[in-house]
Amino acid sequence: MEQFLEQMAEILEVESVNPSDELESFDAWDSLTQLSIIALASENYDVTISALELKSAKTIEGVKKMIESKK
Amino acid sequence: MFNPLDLRNKRFIVTGAASGIGRACALYLSKLGADLLLLDLNGDQLTVTKQECSTSVITIAIDLTDSNLLRESILKDVETNGSLDGMVHCAGVTYISPLKMVNEDKIMNVFKVNTYAGVELAKLFTNKKVFRNQTGSIVFISSVYGIVGSAANVGYALSKGAILSMTKSLAIELASKGLRVNCIAPGFVKTEMAEGINSNFDENYDNYIKSLHPLGWGKPEYIASAIAFLLSDMSIWITGATLSVDGGFTAQ
Repeated sequence: MEQFLEQMAEILEVESVNPSDELESFDAWDSLTQLSIIALASENYDVTISALELKSAKTIEGVKKMIESKK
Repeated sequence: MFNPLDLRNKRFIVTGAASGIGRACALYLSKLGADLLLLDLNGDQLTVTKQECSTSVITIAIDLTDSNLLRESILKDVETNGSLDGMVHCAGVTYISPLKMVNEDKIMNVFKVNTYAGVELAKLFTNKKVFRNQTGSIVFISSVYGIVGSAANVGYALSKGAILSMTKSLAIELASKGLRVNCIAPGFVKTEMAEGINSNFDENYDNYIKSLHPLGWGKPEYIASAIAFLLSDMSIWITGATLSVDGGFTAQ
């Protein structure tokens, strides 16, 4: 989880993130950031998620759970 | 009857012929009478393309990034099946990735497939065993994103932008050999590759892309007809050119 949080913090352009943080609360949350998270899931976890699925994940933890559920 | 698009008694290489623009191009050239040497990584789908063609077609399932194997395979083919009048390098891969997620290995692979494989193929055409006539034509496929910018596309854009300059450079170098070198910069074409990109975006993306093209989404056949023009003697005095076939995308 810790490594995932670091990766998400880098993508979301903040120093750190918490599992409960809502995706839409980040200033950097836009379509490019969504693409970066989709690329992270694909390259680091070999999981394909769509933009719609990503939005439905709501929180950082939600994204992590979505990736784990698709492994 | 006068028909400068008649490609009978001519033979061309088409890469990426297992799907999308490459397949449409193979079918179009075959309809115009051309014999073909089709290359792609996907041998099964290459066979499907071959079955839909009406002229003499040889297929080679090959990784285009393996330059030595590419050279060996083509030299071996022309010994048996006859030399060539031209080629079109349609094979390509996309790479949608924002800068911060760009990966060196992936970007290099995109460059090797989309761009460098075209250089190796052009090199083969300087071999008299491969290139048979006094005039010949090489066509590369660039993209609107080799001309204008788009976010999350640096890897694909650099591979397609390089094709514009490579086309001009090779056009000058190969003119004295009677070889013309041109490229096409397509807009968005409805292919399996484009559908794959769509899945990364939300429902508004399709409408957004459509709005960029005054003539609407492209079809693979629209690119195939432009390729046929550049391979044929219709374009006998055209070399080093980039032909935008993009439904008006870059006219705006």
